[in-house]
Amino acid sequence: MSGVSAVIPVKDGERYLDELLGALTREGVDEVLVIDSGSQDRSVEIAEAHSAVLLRIDPAEFSHGRTRNLGAERTSGELICFLTQDATPCPGWLAAYREAFTLDERAGVAYGPHLARPDTSPMIARELAEFFASFSPDGGPVVQRAGDPTFLSNVNACYLRACWEQVRFRDMPYSEDQAFGEDALAAGWSKVFCPAAAVLHAHDYPPVEFMRRYFDEYRGLRAAQGHIEPFALAQSAGHVRRSVGADRRWMREQGIGGAEAARWTARSTVHHAGRKVFSALGSRAESLPAPVRRSLSLESRADTGAAPAAAAAAASNGGGTPGGAGAPALPPTTHVQRKLSREVYEVAAHVWANGPAPLLRPAPGAWKRERLRLGMVIPPFNRGSGGHNTLLQIFTRLERRGHVCSIWLADYYGYRNAVWPAVLRREIREYFAPFEGPVYKGFERWQGADVAIATGWDTVHATLQLDACHARAYVVNDHEPEFFASSAEHSLSAETYTYEMHCIAASPWLRNLLVDRYGASAEAFQLGVDHDVYKPRPVERRRDTVIYYARYVTPRRGVPIGLMALAELKKRRPDVRIVLFGTDTVPDASFDYEHLGVLSPEQLSVLYSEATVGLCLSLTNFSLMPKEMLACGLPCVELSGISAESIFGADGGPLELAPLDSNLLADSMQRLLEDEGEWARKSREGIEFVASHTWDQATDEVEAGLRRALREREEQAGLAPHRSAG
Amino acid sequence: MENLETSERAAGQDLQAENERLQGRVRELEAELVEVQARANAAVAEWQERAYWLDRWHVDLNALMRKPGAAEFRAGLRAVRSVARFFKRLRRSLSRA
Repeated sequence: MSGVSAVIPVKDGERYLDELLGALTREGVDEVLVIDSGSQDRSVEIAEAHSAVLLRIDPAEFSHGRTRNLGAERTSGELICFLTQDATPCPGWLAAYREAFTLDERAGVAYGPHLARPDTSPMIARELAEFFASFSPDGGPVVQRAGDPTFLSNVNACYLRACWEQVRFRDMPYSEDQAFGEDALAAGWSKVFCPAAAVLHAHDYPPVEFMRRYFDEYRGLRAAQGHIEPFALAQSAGHVRRSVGADRRWMREQGIGGAEAARWTARSTVHHAGRKVFSALGSRAESLPAPVRRSLSLESRADTGAAPAAAAAAASNGGGTPGGAGAPALPPTTHVQRKLSREVYEVAAHVWANGPAPLLRPAPGAWKRERLRLGMVIPPFNRGSGGHNTLLQIFTRLERRGHVCSIWLADYYGYRNAVWPAVLRREIREYFAPFEGPVYKGFERWQGADVAIATGWDTVHATLQLDACHARAYVVNDHEPEFFASSAEHSLSAETYTYEMHCIAASPWLRNLLVDRYGASAEAFQLGVDHDVYKPRPVERRRDTVIYYARYVTPRRGVPIGLMALAELKKRRPDVRIVLFGTDTVPDASFDYEHLGVLSPEQLSVLYSEATVGLCLSLTNFSLMPKEMLACGLPCVELSGISAESIFGADGGPLELAPLDSNLLADSMQRLLEDEGEWARKSREGIEFVASHTWDQATDEVEAGLRRALREREEQAGLAPHRSAG
Repeated sequence: MENLETSERAAGQDLQAENERLQGRVRELEAELVEVQARANAAVAEWQERAYWLDRWHVDLNALMRKPGAAEFRAGLRAVRSVARFFKRLRRSLSRA
């Protein structure tokens, strides 16, 4: 390996410069470049006495990154060593660096430890020793690659010219070495920590200067790596206490005791406490006013760390780049720290890249087995979620039938990050149904299943990644793409029907849609009613009350249309009492009404037993609520031409159907209010119609669907005869 | 010729019997798997029921006991408990006497 250059930026560095340059001569460095940025002391004279090449720059031009790039450009060695003016190489320093670059063919940079000078304070000496020892527990050189610590320090570092030429120092006022370490590893270079390439070096400042230096360092770290130093009073106090304790142990080991130890203990306390505070302030410098930043900075800089680079960029934009003359300057960029561990829908990208996890080869006749292993994947939930209620009513019944059931939460958005699994399980039991099995967050402990069951568009991609399954099924509560305008969510949810999972849809309308539009294999189940709760209650039935499920936050409920219909009804029948429920937000309306908010099932049952007419609209799949109204003997008005006919027949049967027209919806409500015979007939027929719609029946249908999913797999594998079309 | 047909028939019957035996074994293993998973699920569910308040308050006892001083605190607690038990036993034996 030929030619070694050393570059030393200097400003008033006479104290150690002579010793440093002497050591470089002793080590056999071929070329020494001293870059002086306005020294007022003997630095220049010392450099000239050692025959170093001297480059003088304006102090205003100095920047740690830019100036070192300049130094590398002005030298020619294949290895470029950077030292600070107070770092003196120890014997064997250069030989250790030469050896470092033979340890790995991608070795692009090497760095060595900083040893404390005899007059260094104990806390700095201890920190230096412990910090560098942590890189090499056995004391030998260590090659660090991508994923390893990115630490690098230009107090004492050596670069392979090819590596520097590719990566170069970022033009930043501070922490250019840390940024280089990160950039080099990311570019595929390795770096080598060489314990034998040591320098004597220590930054010993008076306490206040130390703190201001930490302010500068952490401001630079924020700009380079986005690091924000955490600060919490209790933790910080603990950190200071532990650090002071470590310093005291160190002093004992070094034979420092008595008054000197007491003096250094006091200094150590101030040092660590100040460091904690000033490093936290430094990494939040952008939140501080410029005069405060300037006064806290050792270098009296008021910028936020990233500003000079941005200013340079702005200057170059507006100042003579090709085509840039007269163009407006870009505003300074804002560094935004990473907040997520992954992108929200990364799981979908994983499926796109790798496809669904392969299914197990089906065991012949498994679909007929009495007990199946079922893993149901659910999205995050809140109390009162209708979709989750449907799923849990059915799943607990499957469990009671002997199937081995578990629930898995797919939480793409991290809504329930703060909730631990036992709490989720308790919530499920409290909000929906007494599920006896385990509840898991995420899929680290996935143990396989006969059927993995997706239950919403935001569970499908996660379910597709689950392995050790014989089949996958998709319980579809609604046509979810209709919940979204053109968006990622709209497209992703539509895509979920195309993965050849057997769909079990919550109405014949929905089944037909999945088959016709997406070519899915699908069958239907009927939503059940809890007849223990929803039944005519012993309360007096009023003759003047229309109740409306005005859930404004759910756009598919078409609330503005429902409100228009009620406004029209109120014009025709000012005596009608209108009650809105289903949301805690009180909607604005052009008529007076009463509001009941969100009610429990028991309260709903009483309301349905007391009211005269129910209004409940769905612009997508038919929902459970009209059935529950009917079960309480309450005639209900719904929209025609969407999904209700697939359950109640073309004329709506006990349901009063009306098109999407507020006047016609008002007509329907008025007819039920005024025609007592019609009201009584609809009320009676409604109770009769939904009597057979139970959760047990729904469970039968879903269980058949799950077995069908398994049977389809056997048919595909040629293990079971295909069923005839009839 | 007749011997050949007989031996082919016998071989076919053997294969069918082996096939049925293997399918029976698969069914047995599947049933065992269902049983094992049912027990595992029950154990996890029972643990989740017990751990509700720990999870509710985000208490990880293993992490807590790894903290410095935790082992000493526990040892101290045991010492206090053993002293208390000693005095309880002493009082009982004195009251019997």
